[in-house]
Amino acid sequence: MKTIYEISKSGKRAVTFAPISVPEYTLDSTLTRDELNLPSLAEVDLVRHYTALSKRAFGVDDGFYPLGSCTMKYNPKINEEVASLEGFASVHPRQDTDEIQGSLALMSTLSAYLAEITGMDAVTLQPCAGAHGEYLGLQLIKKYHEKRGDVKRTKIIVPDSAHGTNPASASMAGFDIVAVKSNDEKGVDLDELRAVVGEDTAALMLTNPTTLGLFEKNIEEISKIVHEAGGLLYYDGANLNAVMGIVRPGDMGFDVVHLNLHKTFSTPHGGGGPGSGPVGCKSMLAPYLPNPGVVKTDNGYEFSFSEDSVGKVTAFYGNFGVYVKALAYIVTLGAEGLKEASETAVLNANYLKARLEDLYPTEKGRHCMHEFVVSLEDLKKETGVSAMDVAKAMIDGGIHPPTMYFPLIVHEALMFEPTETESKDTLDEAADLLRSLYEKAHTCPEELHTAPHHAAIKRPDEVKAARNPILRG
Amino acid sequence: MADYLSLTDAEKRAMLDTIGVDKVDDLFEDIPNKLRCKKLNLPDGKSQQETYAFMRALSKRNRIYDSIFMGAGSYDHYIPSVVKSICSRSEFVTAYTPYQAEMSQGILQAIFEYQTMICNLTGMDVSNASHYSGATAAAEGCIMSADKVKRVVTFDNINPDVMDVLSTYLTARGIELVVLDSVDGKAVLPDDIGIVGAVYCENPNFYGLIEDTTSIAVTCHNNGGKFVLGMNPIAMGLLKSPREQGADIAIGEAQPLGLPMSFGGPYIGFMATTQKEMRKMPGRIVGETVDSAGNRAYVLTLQAREQHIRRERATSNICSNQALCALTVSVYLASVGSEGLRHVAKACTSNAHYLANGLVEKGAKLCFNGEFFHEFVTLTEGKAEEIITALKKENILGGLLIDADTILWCCTEKATKESMDKVIEIVGGVL
Amino acid sequence: MAKFTKTHEWAELDETVTMGISKYAADELGDIVYISLPEVGQAVVAGEPMCEVESVKAVSEINAPVTGTVVEVNTDLEDSPELINEDAMSAWICKIEATDIPADLMTEAEYDAMDK
Repeated sequence: MKTIYEISKSGKRAVTFAPISVPEYTLDSTLTRDELNLPSLAEVDLVRHYTALSKRAFGVDDGFYPLGSCTMKYNPKINEEVASLEGFASVHPRQDTDEIQGSLALMSTLSAYLAEITGMDAVTLQPCAGAHGEYLGLQLIKKYHEKRGDVKRTKIIVPDSAHGTNPASASMAGFDIVAVKSNDEKGVDLDELRAVVGEDTAALMLTNPTTLGLFEKNIEEISKIVHEAGGLLYYDGANLNAVMGIVRPGDMGFDVVHLNLHKTFSTPHGGGGPGSGPVGCKSMLAPYLPNPGVVKTDNGYEFSFSEDSVGKVTAFYGNFGVYVKALAYIVTLGAEGLKEASETAVLNANYLKARLEDLYPTEKGRHCMHEFVVSLEDLKKETGVSAMDVAKAMIDGGIHPPTMYFPLIVHEALMFEPTETESKDTLDEAADLLRSLYEKAHTCPEELHTAPHHAAIKRPDEVKAARNPILRG
Repeated sequence: MADYLSLTDAEKRAMLDTIGVDKVDDLFEDIPNKLRCKKLNLPDGKSQQETYAFMRALSKRNRIYDSIFMGAGSYDHYIPSVVKSICSRSEFVTAYTPYQAEMSQGILQAIFEYQTMICNLTGMDVSNASHYSGATAAAEGCIMSADKVKRVVTFDNINPDVMDVLSTYLTARGIELVVLDSVDGKAVLPDDIGIVGAVYCENPNFYGLIEDTTSIAVTCHNNGGKFVLGMNPIAMGLLKSPREQGADIAIGEAQPLGLPMSFGGPYIGFMATTQKEMRKMPGRIVGETVDSAGNRAYVLTLQAREQHIRRERATSNICSNQALCALTVSVYLASVGSEGLRHVAKACTSNAHYLANGLVEKGAKLCFNGEFFHEFVTLTEGKAEEIITALKKENILGGLLIDADTILWCCTEKATKESMDKVIEIVGGVL
Repeated sequence: MAKFTKTHEWAELDETVTMGISKYAADELGDIVYISLPEVGQAVVAGEPMCEVESVKAVSEINAPVTGTVVEVNTDLEDSPELINEDAMSAWICKIEATDIPADLMTEAEYDAMDK
């Protein structure tokens, strides 16, 4: 379809503004620009253009979205409504504290709830995404060691199954990275871990359930090994949706966690943000959290400032509008509802796995948590049909493909995370589709190699895109 | 209560049977018993009606003003109705990052169009898909220029939030941050500043003054640095583009383009740069290509820069950004068009000069001599707080109180002559 | 005759050393979309990274086969990195004035026999 510039015609406009009611002020011409090229459209053209674009997109409201590690659960409508309330949307962030008691109470309450859910002592909401939270959490760890005069701790240990943001965040926070191999059960290899920890270990970053959707059974021993070496334990909250109200990172021995409100707490992902990545920590790290904090005093809520803070990580107080949605979600579900959400997420994942595992091999003999990873290595050997081919064929079936080729330690991986909000009918349809694709891989593989057949486009040429980048119209 | 689940008890039973377990709890057998938590200490769930009432009551504890003359990083502009209408479409709101191009062409094209508009606005060659805020965009823009020469120079007249974030990010990376004193509120970069990785400057600066960026750019380049320029995007409707001012990297906070103040977020940082710096730029980037049938298609591209491929060697760890805010910015820019943006900018600066003149007539002094855009600082010895309090009584949010004497004011196109005359009258009453 | 490194670079040891990456490396990377060429005058150390090559889904460091100074780079690769995929042995990356040539460079036969 045409781009917005291709349908633009000078002379059209979508909005008119009030005339300027005071004498017009003209800036010196040496300061001003001559050319400005923005689209010109009537309002109806604009609406039709974006409506057409929306029909070439696919969200959770459109259908099943089992994108592993992304927790694409249903986004309740009330969340959107309350976030647009004038009392939240029209408040200036620099108003005096006595005029923003609602916002501060909201932030304080949400922080307290998240601290309870994760078993942490303090929570900041400031980071704007999971990776941003990782970055902050690692800065807390850095400051903690520095403050104790323990300056040799320059290394962050990351499992080979970790998400790429873990090493990237550690590097941005000024650490070196040590990779630790997985054992046969796809957990951390304890002997390997014992071999790499030492007086240069700042922390181990871990996702639990792991990126394979399995609970790290040795978590207590891992915690002991890392802590005895003087390091801290960092919890990547990407997979918290499996364990809310069941087990808390703080009780597992973790010292710092980051969460993703846009995954676990039902705030929409917006096609790539805005998210929110709160960070929780144990009390010894709390003085280093970003300024300002929010505290409750006899005079109501106030901002607090810590001299030892690592500093701010974004403007103002982070993605406030997202906090409103997350709090509405937690308030709606309550303690029991959150637990039931996690239980159902795990039930749904195990059901889908059970319906697939005779054809699509996964980790044997164990129940998965909220997601599972299948390997299409054998299917590819037998038929030439790859994980990518199956994923693309799912698009024709009206299902968003799972996460592909991750984690890196599984070949031809597809990672399914159905989430708790899907019905049995939806899971059955997905299972039926995947079983039929397995058959098709053997009978007419070509149809899968060339899938999708009914999407907005066929497979795009990514090599051309990267070799000769066209990044603007 | 409302649980957002979609399983009947009978279905649950059937599912457990298929899995081969007796009860849901059996699925959690890998979790050591002694780690299992007791019931969370949270309130019981609420009905939708109760949740709405709870949230609304919270919102009522915030004060809403009739007119707002405060800026300082968050701006009260008019948002055309079409912006919210389009950006509420659930296909945009409830989608993930467009990893699967075939199913995400609408989102990819929208980002591509955003990149195009940001390039046209800034005069730069390439834009990414967005940053968390103008502050983090500034920090990442400096980091991408200071990987070899670990020294960044900035000025004490930039937005204090940006300064804080720069300090956090650069310290972590082992990059020195040099902060120079401004002269009469404006940035001056001495010729002998020495070798730098980047110079960061804001135009207009925190005090609203228009900087002599061209000479800063020349001095920056003479000392081997990249010029990172932060601009208010509304000001770009009138002022020379960052490219014309000599910027290598243009960044800024795009909240003024269609996003509500929303107590400070979500906002959106933009970043655009030259062809030469393209492969150093962090963040998602959408590119145009063709599909296997030869039709135009869009994909996430240049991904070898990013964390999921480059891991610890990536220039940035950013993945989720502010995509829906970028869509909002695009729809805003497309709805106002070039003429509309010029008009808004012209209204802002005209209103600000009208208010400034009126306040001066009542006895306030302007702190600085330089030309300003839509923010300015007044000096009213010992009276600043009294002025703000008097305005509050009339439900007017005055400017930002900087100290006992000075106020940073802002006028957007929403300020009317009537509202400004009222401010002038109230201030006159105090002085 | 070109010599090879364990990390899949080839080097033609003439007066100046011409180097590139092996066909095996090019095939493993798949479609190469970009190469960040070293700079003329850049000092390089045998066995250490001197530039990077990117495919759509991967990025790999290219190590210097010898120690010395880069004296010429193949700018054709800037716009046409696919030349490496087409003929890796003729798509040279740069020429190095060598000050030290490691003794453990392999012959083509040795390289072909190496367990990759």
